[in-house]
Amino acid sequence: MDSVPIDQMNDADLMLRVRGHDDEAAFGLLVSRHQKPLLNFFARSGVQYDSEDLVQQTFLRLYRYRQRYVATAKFTTFLFLLARQVWIDELRRRQRRERLAESLAAEPHEEFAAPADPSAGAQGDLDLARALAALPEGLRQVVELAVYQDLPYAEVAGILGIPVGTVKSRMFNALAKLRALLEPEAAAAAPRQAPAKGDRP
Amino acid sequence: MNLNAHLSELPAAEAAAFRTLVARLQAAPQREPSPQLASRILAAVASERTQRPTLNAQPITTNHKPVTSNYRLWRWAAALAAALLAAVTLFNRPAAPLPAAPLPANPAADPAAWLAACQEADGAWQPARHGGDPAYRPALTALAALALARDPADRFRAGVRRATDALVALQTADGAFGGEGRVRAYNQAIAAYALATLAPHGPATAAALERAVAFSRAGQSAEGGWDYEAGSEGNTAVTAWQVRALAAAAERGVGQANIPLRKGLRWLRGAARSEGGVAYHRGSAGRSESLAALAAYTLMTSGRAFDGLPALGRHLTDTLTAADGAADCYRDYAKVMAFESAGDTARAEAVRTGMRHRRQAGAQDPWEPVGGTLYTCAFTALAARQ
Repeated sequence: MDSVPIDQMNDADLMLRVRGHDDEAAFGLLVSRHQKPLLNFFARSGVQYDSEDLVQQTFLRLYRYRQRYVATAKFTTFLFLLARQVWIDELRRRQRRERLAESLAAEPHEEFAAPADPSAGAQGDLDLARALAALPEGLRQVVELAVYQDLPYAEVAGILGIPVGTVKSRMFNALAKLRALLEPEAAAAAPRQAPAKGDRP
Repeated sequence: MNLNAHLSELPAAEAAAFRTLVARLQAAPQREPSPQLASRILAAVASERTQRPTLNAQPITTNHKPVTSNYRLWRWAAALAAALLAAVTLFNRPAAPLPAAPLPANPAADPAAWLAACQEADGAWQPARHGGDPAYRPALTALAALALARDPADRFRAGVRRATDALVALQTADGAFGGEGRVRAYNQAIAAYALATLAPHGPATAAALERAVAFSRAGQSAEGGWDYEAGSEGNTAVTAWQVRALAAAAERGVGQANIPLRKGLRWLRGAARSEGGVAYHRGSAGRSESLAALAAYTLMTSGRAFDGLPALGRHLTDTLTAADGAADCYRDYAKVMAFESAGDTARAEAVRTGMRHRRQAGAQDPWEPVGGTLYTCAFTALAARQ
């Protein structure tokens, strides 16, 4: 393994070096390779301004959990499993913030303005980002992992903790909803096909 | 199975439609990480390396529910590790400079020390850890840094330096400091002021200030003000912070700051009514004590090189009251600064006394639910006697 220059090693080998030797250079390469996919994972989840913080939190978790990585696990599966947990924590924080914001709405204060509602001004012309954000979380994550990260369904199933059949049905429903949002006329004209029998969760 | 194989199972027309949709999704432009992101991550991990033990647990595999299956066990292990770490920290009192040490129990007792204790490894502050909205991290980092820099004993010089480094790292190529819309404007004005006031001289600071000033210039209205809303001629709050930032940048030799500074001061001068009232928008008949104080302080300090502006600031200060009922640390900070700048130390002290009484009575600041303890502590420390 060591005969391969470190910058040409695959992710799994780099991660094993991080796990075994706390190898800073290997960790730096993993950051370099995966910061952008992770950033876009969070950005497409609807995070407006803290995507980079969430990327940082994910890599911190990767470092903390490095001893849990085993060679049989694909690195991206491991990484997105952690990213999903970071995202779930963020959703919980958002719910707390929304409760706070509701209580604050009764006391408008011009100088410390709350963030504008990102949905304000939307006129029904949903672009891709809005359409993705409009998907239920369970459907959006399947799209994120299978379409954007190009992961096989078995790995998507492993990350989300659901059967492969459920991944298929969620993907079908997600694409149908996206099509209805982005191409409402075409989607309405097309006969809706149910997914193959047995794909429903 | 993968997406392509799945789509092949569908009727041809539907598969084709979905393939087109997938191609459109995949072709959508992606965000690029900021140039500093990787270094920030590695710095945070380096800090982690020195502070935390490695967390070992069951290995993870692809085809199982890796973390969730051991989640309870893991949480117990993490809690145990945290408790052990806290015990070691408490009893051995190591010389770790970062916030592994327990925070002072009462932030109000020494707000600057409390702020210093909760500064993060990357030099910034995380509002989410202290009841604030993480969107305001740049502004709250800037306010915390300004508060540390005001410490009369100069106990936190290193923390201030780390904070300004963090602000430079947070800055984006367009000169802003993160956030969207209103948050972006708020963050930019306050972070630019802190950077211009506190950052050490050097090429990195100079470049950051030039970017910040360019952003300010681009956002200035034709009338000379700034606002959170597009199309507005400006509001007093954000204009005052922008003027303070530009004045500090101009003092450091950023030539591009001079013209927008003059225009901004002219806007503020126009916001002051003859009876001393200042409103959020210039056309409004309303009066805001906090904005009158902020405008007064800005005119006396940032406008001191211009005929008539310090006198106008003193006039505004004369109309302010020193006694207020409700808690509002932003207002109190602005009043203390205005009174001190006008040489009225007695009324500045009266404001501090009022702050202290309200704190002891447990009065909550109206913006604590958004800014959290960082916000209230920073303004309390900024209003403290030097």
